[in-house]
Amino acid sequence: MPVIILISVFTIIPFLMSVSYSFTNKLLYPKPNVTTKFIGIQNYLKLLTSSTTMGALKNTFLYALMVVPAIIILGTVLAVLVNTELKGVKTFRMIYFSPQVVTMTVVAVIWSFFLAPNNYGLVNSFIGLFGIPAQRWLQDKNQALFCIAVMDIWQNLGMQMLIILGGLQYISGELYEAAMMDGCNSWQKFWNITVPGLKYTLIYVSVSMTIGALKLFTQVYVLTNGGPQDSTTTVVYLLYKAGFINGQLGYSSAISVVFFIIVMIISELQNKVLEGK
Amino acid sequence: MSQRRKLIQKILMYFIYVLLAVLFISPIIYVFVASLKNDDQIVSDMSSIRAFLLTGALSLDNYVTIISKVNFFKFFKNSMIVAVIFVSLSTVLNGMAGYALGMLNFKGKKVLVSLVIALSIIPTEAIIINRFIVVYKLGLLNSYLGLSLPIVGYPLYIFLYYNHFRNMPRELLEAAIVDGASYSKVFWNIMIPLSKPIISTIVIMGFIRSWGDLLWPTLATRDETYRTLPLALRALNNDIYTYWGQIFAFSSLMILPVLIIFLVFQKQFVSSLTSSGIKG
Repeated sequence: MPVIILISVFTIIPFLMSVSYSFTNKLLYPKPNVTTKFIGIQNYLKLLTSSTTMGALKNTFLYALMVVPAIIILGTVLAVLVNTELKGVKTFRMIYFSPQVVTMTVVAVIWSFFLAPNNYGLVNSFIGLFGIPAQRWLQDKNQALFCIAVMDIWQNLGMQMLIILGGLQYISGELYEAAMMDGCNSWQKFWNITVPGLKYTLIYVSVSMTIGALKLFTQVYVLTNGGPQDSTTTVVYLLYKAGFINGQLGYSSAISVVFFIIVMIISELQNKVLEGK
Repeated sequence: MSQRRKLIQKILMYFIYVLLAVLFISPIIYVFVASLKNDDQIVSDMSSIRAFLLTGALSLDNYVTIISKVNFFKFFKNSMIVAVIFVSLSTVLNGMAGYALGMLNFKGKKVLVSLVIALSIIPTEAIIINRFIVVYKLGLLNSYLGLSLPIVGYPLYIFLYYNHFRNMPRELLEAAIVDGASYSKVFWNIMIPLSKPIISTIVIMGFIRSWGDLLWPTLATRDETYRTLPLALRALNNDIYTYWGQIFAFSSLMILPVLIIFLVFQKQFVSSLTSSGIKG
């Protein structure tokens, strides 16, 4: 199986390298006066005490906290809305899915234009209609991460809607009929039948979206380069910057390992919950 | 429920559908509309509904500029070559691995399956700098192979294929083997034709992934020669003076291929997404 060779060379070996380099002071471009040596857990200590790194971890989790619940709630509402037999509903599903097809770099560029910080920006003009003053959006350290989250939600919602729709179609119609006989209203049906029926789908969606959100890089790299004032520096952006721009391979590897452990714990939690099924 | 109430409810539903559709699709329409306007027009239309309408002087000037001056087709060719190498190799090779794990019996199979599951947890991002070093040591930096090959072996795809083949009737395989077909012949002649939905899912997923990837090409290219579209667009966006018309023309041409592929395969793709339920 040739694929085994490819995976070994390009995934397993780099992974083992990350783990071993994370205990050294190795540099990407070796300097003559610095010899690579084993420095124990110093990289990890540095990581724990660095305000940039802890800030990046905080930003990354904050971002996941903005994106994941929004996708779960809006995705479910959307899936319920399009779960009908009305004529043309399939076309609408395709339209809702279409942002997924647009490359993220393009999405980032479009939204940065809409979110232009002056009075002429599309979004600023729109909120101006309601008397809200122009905002600085991506250039404001309190708003930038939120703006990126909105882009992400806009792009991913349709895809998650389809997955949740798949889950909805497994719920038997008899349950709803029985509930109607008992005189339940739509709201009660939603809470007592739909939500429990979707439990495993929603767990899957939340875990995959969480992992996706933790990997945030493209939008940051295209739009903000981690700024303003590190407010959009994420873990992946940081490990790229530390390793590739600053050349601190050992330190960057340590960040990778921590990132891997976080993702692993989340995946493990998913397996635990899904196995309980 | 009375007829009248039903009708009102129906109208209300369509109203919501259309409203949502506008929300999702207007930014995409915007890109195509703005790509036909000049920069002054784009900026002056920006604060009103005209931004989404084909008003003012329209021309293909932006397209002419990005093709002649920005050299769009060079980057397009790079992206296309990388995507074709990646999609074809990853569809076939991961498929073969998934077939072997899902249908054949051999020693060490269980270990390999758990290895694939374990590996699929490793995020690409966590190993990317050291993958860069490996590719550098192999002398593959700044080449089409360097851009595409490292991402071909993808545990998640193997896993999806594995799930697919595991649920296929084994009798099919056994009957063919009894008739004297080899394992690889069975794979090409019987298994592939029966696996169209999963293959189109992986083709679309792979194409979107390769087409839009920014992190790996950032590391693996040194200069413009092998630069892919997302990198070139980022460079265009980071210029000191931003030529919005060109950016939108560039974006339009960039999303068009994905849109076409998606429209061609959408039926299989959507059915495979919705039917996969929690497996995703």
